[in-house]
Amino acid sequence: MLSTIAAAALPILVVTLALGGVAKLATVGREASPGALARLGPAVLMPERFAKAAMIACALVEFALAAVLLVVDHPVARWLPTVFFAVATYVLWDLRRRRPDVGCGCFGDVSDTPVGLRSIGRAAALTAMGALVGAEGLTGLPQVTVEIAPWIGGGVALLLACSPEVDGFVSRLRHRTPCEQRPMPPGRALSRLRASAAWRAQAGSLLADEPSDMWRELCWRFFVFPAQGDAEVVFAVHLRGRRPAVRAVVVGADGQVVAPDGRGDASLRESTPVSA
Amino acid sequence: MHHRAGERRRKLAAAVLGRDPRPAPRSPEETEPFDVVSGELLDVSPHLIILETADGEQRRLVIAPWATAWRGGTVAPADLPAGARIVVRALRGGTVAEHIWADITRITGVIREVGGRRDLTVELDCGPHRRERSIVVPYRSSGRIRVRHPKLEPGYLFDAIGLLDQGTSLAHLPATSQPPYRATAVPPSQVTYGGSETGISGTAVWADLTDLTDLPGFAGAGVTEGVAYPMLERDETGCGDAGVSCAGLPYLALGSVLRVRNVCDGRADTLPIVACGCLAGQFCDRCLECGTSPRGRIVELTASSYVALGGDLTKGCFNARVGLG
Repeated sequence: MLSTIAAAALPILVVTLALGGVAKLATVGREASPGALARLGPAVLMPERFAKAAMIACALVEFALAAVLLVVDHPVARWLPTVFFAVATYVLWDLRRRRPDVGCGCFGDVSDTPVGLRSIGRAAALTAMGALVGAEGLTGLPQVTVEIAPWIGGGVALLLACSPEVDGFVSRLRHRTPCEQRPMPPGRALSRLRASAAWRAQAGSLLADEPSDMWRELCWRFFVFPAQGDAEVVFAVHLRGRRPAVRAVVVGADGQVVAPDGRGDASLRESTPVSA
Repeated sequence: MHHRAGERRRKLAAAVLGRDPRPAPRSPEETEPFDVVSGELLDVSPHLIILETADGEQRRLVIAPWATAWRGGTVAPADLPAGARIVVRALRGGTVAEHIWADITRITGVIREVGGRRDLTVELDCGPHRRERSIVVPYRSSGRIRVRHPKLEPGYLFDAIGLLDQGTSLAHLPATSQPPYRATAVPPSQVTYGGSETGISGTAVWADLTDLTDLPGFAGAGVTEGVAYPMLERDETGCGDAGVSCAGLPYLALGSVLRVRNVCDGRADTLPIVACGCLAGQFCDRCLECGTSPRGRIVELTASSYVALGGDLTKGCFNARVGLG
């Protein structure tokens, strides 16, 4: 049973790795806009001048892993993809916490949707597939038999369900305006903000019911509310979906962050350099 | 909307999304912008130019032997009249003048009324911030203006580069080919889905943004850097024509920082959005400076920012690529 699943997982892993590598290289080659790379995936975690190199390195590693899965018959080599995907899962988790506005960049600039649980779930699923392949010690593409085919179909369906990129293709097919170009009245974002957990957490400290400033940038709408102690609470509401991502932060009168939101990351604030 | 408020917005947005509030550094293929000095000409000799900047500072620049000047046509730098409003492209930390434009103005608007027989007087509606403007197309340049603006009729767009002469704006050069549609019938943008959210190419033009005296941010006339961007929200800007663009631009806000790159020579800079580019959004033209740009104006730069990025003020545009800074 396990060996059947592993045999189905192997071609999925190889194709996913190769596709990811090709898409990343294509993105680097195209570079649609200045600084676009610096807003994709792990590249945001490093200085911008290394963003391109990081993207290329990531693509090359993916090609190497795909090749390793196909040809190298060594137990250590078997486990390398698992390690890669496990690290990727952690990086995506961290990315979501640190930079909720950037995409995972898994398939280059196609993956520009902010990292969500689906992207992380996909990386975790790939880790599990990698572990199965490693445990079973498979090498090279297996014969596709009647037993394996349904498992391949199931694996692909799982990955597709976990891929936010699919939404983009569907929207494109339906000719929907992308969210950053779609007009959206501020009232709707405000009512979505008021229905969110971040709002409930901060509502007690707000001094006014109406925002003192609000503005829109791409798919985010920002609201600033005056709060107790001469501070301000800043909310960022994503404009995609009915239950969108909402971030909140309390900023003191001096412009320094007082308390980040509920998914607290005090350690991040300590490590982020604050210009004097 | 004050310039300071824009900076504050940037800081707050960076805080809530965990971004780095500082502008991203330049990538290796991008070069530094030119130094630009602008102000009122106090005195000029064949080798030295003295001018007073908007904040009252006096600057002395050496004129390079190859320097050229424009005032209604190419002139020798020493022939520029004192009191002219000049923009200087400078080298070596802003000490050597290389190119000087004097009393140059950009006349962009919707034609309201055309009068006169030899010299044409054109009333233009230049948007809610720049209000109405009356300009003159002198007989000697009406030929070349008409070639590129075949419909000098109310309702059509007008875009020319001219000379400010004793308070009168004289149109000298057409800045673009007139769009064939009326200003109220801007073609819709081609929706492009996918790709990077902020990948935008098109044409960058310049405008007399320092004339926007009724914008509070410009009250001190100290803002010389920045861009006007068409795709802003109407409620925020008080500009009924905002939110129109044929380039498929994403929504941004006053205070957002754009990274503008001149595709022709690779110069790039990060500039804040300081005004609404109501008129820029209505032009669906292309720039032919180096190759053909995708259609649509994406930003209107101040004259200083435009020159700093390597643009020539007598040519109306350069091909640009814009990213979010």
